[in-house]
Amino acid sequence: MGSEDRPGGDGAAPDDAPVAVELDGVSRRYGDTTAVSDVSLRIREGEFFTLVGPSGCGKTTTLRLIAGFEAPDAGTVRLGGRSVEGLPPEDRNVGVVFQNYALFPHMTVGENVAYGLNFAEPPGGLTREERVRELLELVDLPGMADRDPDELSGGQRQRVAMARALAPGPEVLLLDEPMSALDAQLRERLRAQVKAIQRELSITTVYVTHDQEEALAVSDRVAVMREGTPDQVAPPRTVYRRPATRFVAEFVGDNNVFEGRVEAVEGHVEPSDQVDRNIHENAPHGVGSPVETEGSVGGAGNAESGTDAAITAVDVGETVARVRAPGDVAVGDRLSFCVRPENLRILRDAEEDGRDPANVLRGSVASAEFLGETTRVRLSWGDRELVVRTTDPLSGTISVAFDPADAHVFAHERR
Amino acid sequence: MTDGSGDAGGAPGDAAEDGGTTPGDASDAADGDASSAAARTARDRAERRILPALAAGTVLLLAVLFYYPVGTVLVEAVRVDGRYTLEVLVGVLRDPFYLGDLAGLFAGESPLAVAGRLLGPDRRLGIVGFTAYQAALSTLASVALGLPGAYVLARFEFPGRRTLRSLTILPFVLPSIMVAVGFVATFGDDGTLNAALSAVGLPTVDLLFTLEAVVIAHAFYNAPLVTRVTTAAWESVDASAVETARSLGAGPFRAFRDVVAPQVYPAVLMGAALTFVFTFGTFPIVLALGGFELATVEVFVYRLIRNLEYAEAAALAIVELAVSLGLLYAYLRYEARHTVRSRGVRPLPRHRLLPASPSFGQALVRVGVAAYALVALTVFLAPVLSMLLASVTGPDGLTLEHYRFLVERQRTGAAFQVRPWPAVRNSLLFGVGALAVALPMGVVVAVLTTRDYRGRKLVDAVAMAPLSISGIVVGLGLLRGLVFGVEVWGTRIAVGGALAVVAAHAVAGYPFVVRTVGPGLDALDRSLVESARALGASRARALLDVELPLVRPGVVAGAAFAFAISMGEFSATVVLATGTEQYTMPIAIERFIGRRLGPATAMGVVLLLVTSASFVVIDRFGGETGGL
Repeated sequence: MGSEDRPGGDGAAPDDAPVAVELDGVSRRYGDTTAVSDVSLRIREGEFFTLVGPSGCGKTTTLRLIAGFEAPDAGTVRLGGRSVEGLPPEDRNVGVVFQNYALFPHMTVGENVAYGLNFAEPPGGLTREERVRELLELVDLPGMADRDPDELSGGQRQRVAMARALAPGPEVLLLDEPMSALDAQLRERLRAQVKAIQRELSITTVYVTHDQEEALAVSDRVAVMREGTPDQVAPPRTVYRRPATRFVAEFVGDNNVFEGRVEAVEGHVEPSDQVDRNIHENAPHGVGSPVETEGSVGGAGNAESGTDAAITAVDVGETVARVRAPGDVAVGDRLSFCVRPENLRILRDAEEDGRDPANVLRGSVASAEFLGETTRVRLSWGDRELVVRTTDPLSGTISVAFDPADAHVFAHERR
Repeated sequence: MTDGSGDAGGAPGDAAEDGGTTPGDASDAADGDASSAAARTARDRAERRILPALAAGTVLLLAVLFYYPVGTVLVEAVRVDGRYTLEVLVGVLRDPFYLGDLAGLFAGESPLAVAGRLLGPDRRLGIVGFTAYQAALSTLASVALGLPGAYVLARFEFPGRRTLRSLTILPFVLPSIMVAVGFVATFGDDGTLNAALSAVGLPTVDLLFTLEAVVIAHAFYNAPLVTRVTTAAWESVDASAVETARSLGAGPFRAFRDVVAPQVYPAVLMGAALTFVFTFGTFPIVLALGGFELATVEVFVYRLIRNLEYAEAAALAIVELAVSLGLLYAYLRYEARHTVRSRGVRPLPRHRLLPASPSFGQALVRVGVAAYALVALTVFLAPVLSMLLASVTGPDGLTLEHYRFLVERQRTGAAFQVRPWPAVRNSLLFGVGALAVALPMGVVVAVLTTRDYRGRKLVDAVAMAPLSISGIVVGLGLLRGLVFGVEVWGTRIAVGGALAVVAAHAVAGYPFVVRTVGPGLDALDRSLVESARALGASRARALLDVELPLVRPGVVAGAAFAFAISMGEFSATVVLATGTEQYTMPIAIERFIGRRLGPATAMGVVLLLVTSASFVVIDRFGGETGGL
């Protein structure tokens, strides 16, 4: 399951920063249910690492295992290379921000931020007061030290919680859905601020969210979790463009998933850079973070673009699709692949003529959701549904087409 | 764990270094400021052990102060002349005097025959049966008196509503013997009831030593309990749930039946179950109001102990315990399934008690509320007012004679006579002592029982058992186990009578601390403690810095409870203080009541004043008791 994307799996990590947080075969059970199942992760120093997944996928439990609020039933958690088995949370040197911020209601903002300084000297030889002031400035709340938490807005509380967690100078910052109680606009502003603070301090950060868009926007790398295990661990772009499993394909962004039997292998092609076409324009906000380069952190596998590939005809029921598949594919194999809505091009009637009918799909508009910039249209296609994005109003029966290179094969079952 | 084995060699060493197990490691870890870091580590280590140490201390204390003494008593039921036998227990079970017709079951008769006789006109209930019967009647009376109160408090808005709601706790902590005196002053031949009746030309009644008086006194105690728990449940009903039901087409009555009632009746059941358990183990009230004619199990246990028939007393206590624990267990099982506390709900809007232009229906409801208020006022105020009145009236009208008697007794009383000042002094000393033990014990148990871990239920049960064991048995156990002395490794260890009384009071009081502190701790967001710990605070430090300040109202309330329980404790004290100098105010009242009512009521007023003053003091020291 996505093993080629595991960091260090192929030793291709270009970034040789030391590992800050390591989970090694970690499991956690509650009675009969397994919340976290044999998870192995390596998070590097200074990395912004996000655990994303639907509720109950084990992402929060994973965070709590790192913080020391839970003990693993199996496996080892290491912080800074040392096993932290049996080490209580107060000795782990982690900063935690909870979903509800958990500000101490009987203390002022300043007292909240200073609380951790009861147990650790303020870093950088500062006095407590100086450190509190510094942190409140960092989170853009100068002069708020004497306020009570209940005088603050939700966004301000969230930032106080950040300042409090950072005050003692933790090695690792753990954020458990810190935005989910805020409204959408504020959330976008705050996540940019969180990201900026993380960059400024270069602090190793583990971020838990159920919001895949948020995960793509802020992270260096993302672990998409399902049923207690990451399905894929990779930089946001890789997760978006080359989901490792059907679950990832459908969880991250809209997608059209196809499944079928290989009819014919029509010839091998050179590794091409065509794969990435279209994506920059259509990707959700924030994916194109300028500082980031593909696979820069943790060395997610670029397995596909570096290997041999073949154009393959796959019978997906309504039609036979031509897709770019791994080179070792053979007739009779079963393939699963996905095509992003933005890669389903809407054809004008004139265009349709003379095209290879293989990748032309005809369907009738079932519903349209106006999203502002674009409209998400669902087409009835046979007994299935296709999702396309358009800027023009659509109705009736239309044809869409995709390029074989835009199909991403994520499962290959040999005959 | 596959490649964990490669690091396994290093990991334990690292962990040891973190723990600072050897001086070398500790200094190694703190390169720069070694000395301050070492001091910090030492402090941290000490802090870290406080909570486990306190927990162990609590367990030890419980074992020494409760389980061992109670165990020694109960063992007597099956140990006669040094050999183990079930004779005495079986004897009690087969004795119709105790179990009535049910005894037939244990004597081998067919259940059908027993049932037939129980349903027949000549059934015999026996002592146990009668105790259950009066408890059932008392429960009915308490629910009947308490339920309308909950309705009024939850559904109407009027000045003083909050105060009234807080006051519902008061009867529960009033010293039972004082209440008994109050009821004697109300129902006695020359009591206020008969005075009132003859004033309006009605024939007088003789309620003293009747079941009615006992049941009304029990309702005095327990109806407010029913009111409290029901009001709380009623107030936690979400108005939007009712509104949803109404919008779906349910009428007001249907919405009440389908939405409100299911959330309220578990609370009523809880109030009823607790009332039954409390009144099943009743002692001072029956002793004072029922005499030996209406003896309950507890009164009989006491009588057997005074006759030095320990084996039979213990056997009877076991039967009593089985009934109480069985019921409590059933209740806790039920509670576990029904504790869905909704938080942050919008409560149902309250009606104004005096609407500007009431409709006929509204007026009718208000008339009902007024009638209820009259009954409630009578039941709750009559005993206290009667006691106050009786303390200043003599055969010739108003007099201070009874108080003069107390002063006189203090000055000239013989050594064997009960004098007022030592009683007041002892009560205060024992109260402070019991508070000092019960408060930390209760807080520790509350902390231990609000966290989720395996065996939590067991801890809960072990810690809460003292609530269901009769004070008489605890007192007897302490007397025979600790006061008379225990042989431990060849050394005789004996505890002074005063210490034993403090122990008994602490055991009686700390469950109330648990009950007032626990829910507050439970309701606290656990991420508060986790935040504190991630910031470097040990578990004990987080408790001190974060949890306790946030549940302070509960802690104060618990302290007030523990103190009040100690002030009013009668059952264990009467066993422990027999023939000693350790008598308290309730014991003094009991000694007086047998001979003359006047001084007993005067002493009762003194007890009321001292208890109220202590409440004020605790309130001042502890800040507002908002949670009460």
